[in-house]
Amino acid sequence: MQRGGEGEEEEEDGEDDGGPESALQKSPFQLTAEDVYDISSVVGRDLLQLSAGPEVPAAAARLQFSMVRVLEMLEALVSEGSLTEEQLRMERDSLRAELEALRGRAAAGSAQQPNLGPDKMVIDLTDPNRPRFTLQELRDVLQERNQLKAQLLVVQEELQCYKSGIISQRKDQAKELEKEPCDSNPSTSKDSHEKTIIKRLFSFKHGK
Amino acid sequence: CASALLPSNPNYPFSLTRWYTPEACLQFKDHFHAQLRTACQQSTGTTGLKISKVVVVGDVYVGKTSLIHRFCKDRFERDYKATIGVDFEIERFEIVGIPYNLQIWDTAGQEKFKCIASAYYRGAEVIITVFDLADIQTLDHTKQWLEDALRENEANSIFIFLVGTKKDLVSDAVCERTELDAIRFANDMQAEYWSVSAKTGENVKEFFSRVAALAFEQSMIRELEKTTGHMAQIGTGNLIRMLSFACLYFAFL
Ligand SMILES: Nc1nc2c(ncn2[C@@H]2O[C@H](COP(=O)(O)OP(=O)(O)OP(=O)(O)O)[C@@H](O)[C@H]2O)c(=O)[nH]1
Ligand SMILES: [Mg+2]
Repeated sequence: MQRGGEGEEEEEDGEDDGGPESALQKSPFQLTAEDVYDISSVVGRDLLQLSAGPEVPAAAARLQFSMVRVLEMLEALVSEGSLTEEQLRMERDSLRAELEALRGRAAAGSAQQPNLGPDKMVIDLTDPNRPRFTLQELRDVLQERNQLKAQLLVVQEELQCYKSGIISQRKDQAKELEKEPCDSNPSTSKDSHEKTIIKRLFSFKHGK
Repeated sequence: CASALLPSNPNYPFSLTRWYTPEACLQFKDHFHAQLRTACQQSTGTTGLKISKVVVVGDVYVGKTSLIHRFCKDRFERDYKATIGVDFEIERFEIVGIPYNLQIWDTAGQEKFKCIASAYYRGAEVIITVFDLADIQTLDHTKQWLEDALRENEANSIFIFLVGTKKDLVSDAVCERTELDAIRFANDMQAEYWSVSAKTGENVKEFFSRVAALAFEQSMIRELEKTTGHMAQIGTGNLIRMLSFACLYFAFL
C-alpha cells in the first residue's frame, strides 16, 4: 500500500520529468523507494548493454555518471543521518538533565516531611472532610447529646404516664422517693422536693 | 428504652436469672423463704430509686451497640455504624414495687475515641467486656479493656461479665471450642461468661436479666446494710442475702 502510494507520486513525477532517469536528478532527501527501483532499472539496463555491441562506450559513460550520482546521494544521506543522530543525542541529554533536576527537587520536597516529626500530619485545607474540631468540642457535644437524650426519655415516660392515667399516683410516689437521702449528692437531699424522680435518675456519674 | 416504660413483665420466668455456664459464673442460686416476701415489700418504702451503672467495653465492631439495642429496643441493624465516643440507654425494671434502672453506657471501640469513652467508666457497678466469637483476636483484647475500665473504679464491688457475640456466625463446634478459651479468660478476669447473638436475640434477654438481678441484689444488700441496722445485727449477711434473693425471686416469678 505504501509502495502503491509512492508509486502514484512517482508516476506523476515521471510524467513531468520523463522516464526513470529523472530519479537520479532528485534531491537525495526526497528519494522514495520507487526512485531507488527506477535507478536500479536504469543501471541494470546499462549493465546489460556493457556485454556486447556498439552501445558499450555510451553505456559505460552513463554507468559512471550513475555511480557517481548514487555515491553523492549516499554521502548526503549519511551525513544528514549522523547530523540527525547528533541532534537527537543532544536532545536526549538535555531531557535527562531536566529529569534529574526534577527528581532532585521531588526528593528535597519529601525530605521536608520527616521534619514535621513522626506524630505530625499534613492537613489538606481544601478537603471538606478534614479534621477541624477539637477533642473538647466533641466531648461537649456528646455530653449535650446525652442530656438531651435523657430529657427525651423523661418526656416519653411522662407522656406514657399521662396516657395510662397514672401520673398523679406516680407524682406522689416520686415525692415519697425524693424524701430519701441520695448518696450521690447528699447535700441537696433536703431541698430535693423540687427535683423529679427522673432528674435523679439522670444525675449521671461520669468524668468531666 | 421505650419498652421498659411499663413496669417489668410480671411473667418473667425465674430461669432468667440463671447463669450461662457453671464453669464461669459469679453466683449460684440459693433457696428462698416465702415469708420474706412481706419483709421485702415492707422495705420498699425505704429503698428509694435504684440505678445501677453498667459500662460496656470491647474492640471495635464486636457488636456492643447491637447487643444493647437488641435488649433495649428489640432491634437489629445489619449495617455497621461506629459509636461516636459514648452512648447510653436506660432500661427500667420494677422489682416488687421498687423502681430499678440499668443505665447502660455503650462505649466506642475505636482507638481514637478511647480518651472520651474512658471518662465514662467511673462509678460502674457492672462492667461488660465484649468480644466477637467469630474473631478470636478480640477475645485477647478483653483483658486490656477490663483493666482500663477497672482502673477508674474500685474493683471489689464490681460485677464483671465476659460476653461472646455473633453466636449465629459460628458453628456449634467452633462456638464450643471458643467458649473453652473464653471461660479460661473469664476465670482469670473473675467474670461470668455468656455467649449471645444480637441478630437472633439468643440469650440476650437472659443475659441482661442476669445482669439486672445481680446488680439489683447488690444494691439491695448495700441499702439494707445501711438502712436496717437491726437486721444486720441479727445477722448476718445471710439474712440480708436471702432477703434480696427473695425480692429477685418475686420480681421474676
Ligand atoms: N451476624 C451478626 N452480626 C452482628 C451481631 N452483632 C453485631 N453484628 C454486626 O457487627 C457489626 C458491628 O456491630 P456494632 O454493634 O456496631 O459494633 P460495636 O462493637 O458497637 O462497634 P463500635 O461502636 O465501633 O465499637 C454490625 O454490622 C452488626 O450488624 C450478631 O450477633 N450477629
Ligand atoms: Mg458501637
